[in-house]
Amino acid sequence: MDEAELRIRNHIYRRFVELGRAPRFAELSAELPGVEFEPALRRLHEFHAVVLEDDRRELRMANPFSAVPTHHRVEAGGRSWFANCAWDAFGIPAALHVDGHISSECLDCGETIEIDVRGGQAVPDEHLFHVAVPAAHWWDDIVFT
Amino acid sequence: MNLFRSEEHVERWLGRTGLEAGATITAGRLCELAHAWWSDRLAPSWRPRSREASQAILERLGLTGPFWQLAEE
Repeated sequence: MDEAELRIRNHIYRRFVELGRAPRFAELSAELPGVEFEPALRRLHEFHAVVLEDDRRELRMANPFSAVPTHHRVEAGGRSWFANCAWDAFGIPAALHVDGHISSECLDCGETIEIDVRGGQAVPDEHLFHVAVPAAHWWDDIVFT
Repeated sequence: MNLFRSEEHVERWLGRTGLEAGATITAGRLCELAHAWWSDRLAPSWRPRSREASQAILERLGLTGPFWQLAEE
């Protein structure tokens, strides 16, 4: 990953924070004139620095942010985003260095789970997080993970 | 990587899906993990973290053993 690729990566994250959603390829093209950003995005995808959609030219993830709606919604700093998973949901206030609120649901019964993040702590903290895929295989299929 | 109301709900979901049990931690511990894992993500100086550094974060939070061993780079 070279400096030019890192600049594109940082631009994507900045726009994700500003927009509350993923920047689209058409927007990146306009915002990065003269930059061959698609080959750079392929490289960033290979390095797991972003995740691209399989079937179209758009972003799927810039972890912890999700480009598609999920059942993990996060409010922080007066804005809101979708997170890829419960881990990433907590990662959004962490990345922004602010308190936040997570609205998720129990994967078993569907009941809403609401958790605040205050000063880096989960309130309440007793709900359970389950990860089914061993760490060595998280990136085999990151969307499933 | 999802949330559940209790261990009973985790076990019921595993039974329904046929998936093998993985690892379960509390939301409190997950929050600690997320802060250690993601806090540098928006820094302009961000650089990819090595496998060893990521593994060290897991170990600091007591997430050890074969299940938590990250893939070789």
